[in-house]
Amino acid sequence: MRWLPALLLACSAAGASADDARARMHYLLHCGGCHLPDGRGVPPEVPSLRGDPGRLAAYPDGRRYLARIPGASQAPLSDAELTAVLNWVLTEFNADTLPADHEPLTVDEVASARRDALADPARERRAIWERHSLD
Amino acid sequence: MISNWLDERVGRGTRALARRTSRRSFLGRLGSLLAGSTVLPLLPVARALAAEGLTEVGDPESCDYWRYCALGGTLCACCGGTMSSCPPGAEPSPITWVGTCHNPADGQHYLIAYNDCCGKAPCERCFCHRTERDKPVYFPSKSNDILWCFGTKSHAYHCTVAAVQGRAEAPS
Repeated sequence: MRWLPALLLACSAAGASADDARARMHYLLHCGGCHLPDGRGVPPEVPSLRGDPGRLAAYPDGRRYLARIPGASQAPLSDAELTAVLNWVLTEFNADTLPADHEPLTVDEVASARRDALADPARERRAIWERHSLD
Repeated sequence: MISNWLDERVGRGTRALARRTSRRSFLGRLGSLLAGSTVLPLLPVARALAAEGLTEVGDPESCDYWRYCALGGTLCACCGGTMSSCPPGAEPSPITWVGTCHNPADGQHYLIAYNDCCGKAPCERCFCHRTERDKPVYFPSKSNDILWCFGTKSHAYHCTVAAVQGRAEAPS
């Protein structure tokens, strides 16, 4: 039985890896066409997903904003799938800017935020960037 | 001393080669090799693409080719490019829309990026309109009726390529 913890750990790691692969697939299918597979976007038309999302994750309204933007809220994904994609984007592209005490987005907060549609995404973006002194 | 030895070895080898082969047979084999290596990649038969690492069957100049399951536009493969590269003089749009297609050669589903090639007059050959999982234009990120020449020097549409981005799950 000494090998049981190691086996459970290996199974857990394999499960996490499969979840990551699925989140990446959904990212490529629903986001990467415009934001590009590596998240760098095509500024100014398509914002980069590297850097700012990690900074936004430090604030409650920033966390909600990530799920409220039209590309996220309207993606043909379930709440759980969207949550997995957003968390994958945060850890994959924003490891340098995430707060040290970052907690992954939960399905409940993503579900609530994506139903709170942004009536004017550009205005909201300007407001939230100013509020938190983002570049 | 060394050069004499080298001359002798090379001379002996050359004479032995000349005894075994004729110039005509050498030129014939060289010609076959060159012609074969030029034509082989063009054959519309099963092929293993080293770059994308998958096996495919069919004719990339036909709308029925598996990768084009959601392509609306003209095939770059008919317009001087290939199924995954723009013709000379056309610029690939960095922005694209991505769908999934079923590859009959291996039974797997793949993510396919439909990048438009831009900056030249429209190519008029091989117009296709396939719509698997395509959505109306009011859902622009999933519509193949949108022209995707954004982020390029010119917005003029020329043709569309279909690049494999990786494995996908079977659509639900």
